[in-house]
Amino acid sequence: MRRVSLSLVTLFLLSIMVFLGGQVLPGNVGRAILGPFADQRAVDTLNHTLGVDRPLLTQYVSWIWNFVRGDMGMSYVFRSPVAPFVVDALGNSMKLAAVAFIFVVPIGILGGVIAALNLNRPLDRIISLGGLSVTVLPEFVTGIILILIFGVWLRWLPISAAWPRDAGFFTQLYYLILPSLPLFLVLFGYIARMARSGMIEALDSDYTRTAVLKGLPWRTVIWRHVLRNALLPTITVIATQTGYLIGGLVVIETLFRYQGIGSLIFTAARGKDFPMLESGILTIGIVYSVATLAADFLYSVLNPRIRLGSDQ
Amino acid sequence: MSKNYSILDLIRRNRSPLENHLIDGLVDGRVSRRDFIRHGSLLGLSLPLLGGITTAAGFGGMPSLARAQGAPGATIRVASSVPAATIDPVTIADAGGLLVMQQVAEFLCVDGPDLVLQPALAESWKPNDNGTVWTFKLRKGVKFHSGGEMKADDVVASIDRLADPANSSNALSVFTGILQKGATKKVDDYTVEFHLDAPNGNFPYMVSSDNYNAVIIPASYKGDYETSFDGTGPFKIEKYTAKVGASFVRNENYWGPKALPERTEFTFFTDVQPMILALQGGQVDIINQMPVLSGVALLSDPNVDIISLKSSAHQQLHLRCDDGPLKDPRVRRAIALSLDRDKLVAGLMKGRATPGNDSPFAAVYPSTDPSVPQRKRDIAQAKQLMDAAGAGKGFKVTLTTERYLEIPEYAQLIQNWVKEIGIELELNILDQSGYYGDAVFGKSNWLDSVMGITDYGHRGVPNVYLAAPLKSDGTWNAAHFKNKDYDTLATSYIAALDLEAQKADAGKIQKLLLEETPVIFGYFYDYLTATAKGVAGVQPTAMSQLFLDKASKA
Repeated sequence: MRRVSLSLVTLFLLSIMVFLGGQVLPGNVGRAILGPFADQRAVDTLNHTLGVDRPLLTQYVSWIWNFVRGDMGMSYVFRSPVAPFVVDALGNSMKLAAVAFIFVVPIGILGGVIAALNLNRPLDRIISLGGLSVTVLPEFVTGIILILIFGVWLRWLPISAAWPRDAGFFTQLYYLILPSLPLFLVLFGYIARMARSGMIEALDSDYTRTAVLKGLPWRTVIWRHVLRNALLPTITVIATQTGYLIGGLVVIETLFRYQGIGSLIFTAARGKDFPMLESGILTIGIVYSVATLAADFLYSVLNPRIRLGSDQ
Repeated sequence: MSKNYSILDLIRRNRSPLENHLIDGLVDGRVSRRDFIRHGSLLGLSLPLLGGITTAAGFGGMPSLARAQGAPGATIRVASSVPAATIDPVTIADAGGLLVMQQVAEFLCVDGPDLVLQPALAESWKPNDNGTVWTFKLRKGVKFHSGGEMKADDVVASIDRLADPANSSNALSVFTGILQKGATKKVDDYTVEFHLDAPNGNFPYMVSSDNYNAVIIPASYKGDYETSFDGTGPFKIEKYTAKVGASFVRNENYWGPKALPERTEFTFFTDVQPMILALQGGQVDIINQMPVLSGVALLSDPNVDIISLKSSAHQQLHLRCDDGPLKDPRVRRAIALSLDRDKLVAGLMKGRATPGNDSPFAAVYPSTDPSVPQRKRDIAQAKQLMDAAGAGKGFKVTLTTERYLEIPEYAQLIQNWVKEIGIELELNILDQSGYYGDAVFGKSNWLDSVMGITDYGHRGVPNVYLAAPLKSDGTWNAAHFKNKDYDTLATSYIAALDLEAQKADAGKIQKLLLEETPVIFGYFYDYLTATAKGVAGVQPTAMSQLFLDKASKA
């Protein structure tokens, strides 16, 4: 409960920071919509119509009061309710994140385990160095290379991640393969490296030595004693990547023309569309908080020594 | 070819003195055939009539606009920039949005790719003697998609809405000082008069596709355009999803020839690179607007055709005239002389531009005086001017600009060139919102900087370029240029109805601006549209509009 309260305070502070940060951006909403060459009278009229010429505190209080009651407000730029934009974009981002996670988490962990079990052998070197190399490549570089190979030359996969209207589950999955590949490459090295170091530490621990000496089969030692402890830091890493995977994929979303929440808040910031920007960022904040709480919970399940809210 | 004076005399009988003067100019050789057709269309002469006159004058007929018609029934897929805001004819200001709107709604007349005004919802137009009243005759039998007939009331309401300061009209900057609310008057159901604030010889362009807000929509419009997308165009809306895309179907009740494509699909992109990959990957057929630097890969792609339109779009390099190190016109001329315009055109713009001569008069305008010598790079003369101005030892100055198209690369080239005359240029390249700020004096890097580069889109006539960025009271006068002679000449040019009078004023303005150089017009860049091989009949305009009614696929 204490953690939930702290998350709410964090989200409240986040909303204030986003609001104040938005005021620092140059220009104003009317100017952003009508462009630099519009008549100032038209800009003033539009700002008045949208209500952005009201005092800042009034604007903020009005928006946050509606938000806590479940109303995200109206977009200044699109002059329609914000909620459908945010819900759709969040759904899209979560689909892409899920596809990336489904592939990268097991394969990354498997890679780390294999590397640790083959410590300092060629297989370890290939996984570690290979993973590190693809991790440092920016997504837009790997993205363009993958599009050229699979979309333009081979034409196996669609270039755009935006699937046709009324597409079913498998069609959507087909459209998400290509954009999820750069994410796979970014995260694989990271997750594999964490899994590898956790495994090495666990393999070198006293409890593993005890398990081996008391005659347990090697497979049981790995599954029941090593992996359970080795994966704890990896879970934390995966949880912290949730924020990136949900809200930080502006480049991937732009490259693959995908309507995720990252590009939604990016365009909202550029257009000074405050209700859209605030709602988008707070939604990401909520998702991130939930993911962190879930990771903490999972951590405690896997490691009985940890107790949530304990005073030990 | 010989002249047929008997036919010319017959044609002259029913023409106004202004029209006859233009015909005389053609016959006497003072006006070229190309300029005659462009200016004749501005005065409301129909294209068949213009063809008849040029034939009788011994110049041959109009070039045939008829093309080999492609197969009907195609679905044409277009990659477009994402509309930046809600689609509303009153407020719309971005290329993506106006492209969507233009698929369904039409203008009184269309500024074609060759700057010839073509009738659309208006069949003809003509000015009074001094150009203060323009009368437009509307086409009969034109139906809105919602069913009603387009009449004078709709035109009056559409234009009044844009001229009303109480609305958030993006076209207010076009109409200010030209047309006020209430000055668009219905004569009868099919005739409308525009009573202007002052004489204006180029007014039809202000209600053409050149003024992209000026589409004619029903008088009953209440500001909810995305619920209806009502218009009179050859396509009707099928579906529009903000930030995603739009699709249109053929309008079977269109007043003109029915569109060839059965459907068109517009896919929105936030960046050019994914558009290029989508074209190469066969997922779209057309990229509506392709910046030359981003699209270099497509310029030589054998699977892609490039439609290249000459335009008046340009990057203005303003030099502050009222204060600071650029106050002396000799320094400003020296900077202009240091630029290598041939390299700008051939290198930076890959040949897809024409050199500028430091005035808004681009080569595409019929009123441009071609006898004014082209300014060329001359470092020796530039150094002399710097010495004469007492700036021989050079100085340091900041060039502030926006991160848009090729502007950062252009700024770097200028930085290198002015170094040769002792000027150390510091670049301050901002994103667009940072550069334009509130877009009013005192709150804008654009309007307050000593030196800056600003992108200006295409216009069919130079009126806007001559007024807002250069007149003493201009709202976009970033150079802070105040010159009474210039103001008088610009006002005179804008008022002139006669092409030769316009040309005379243009020549004087060109010479005055070369002498004062408040703004450097280095080049005018082409408008590029990329199409997949086999796609034909696509007609873009340099205003980001795209006419697809004659489009087909092999």
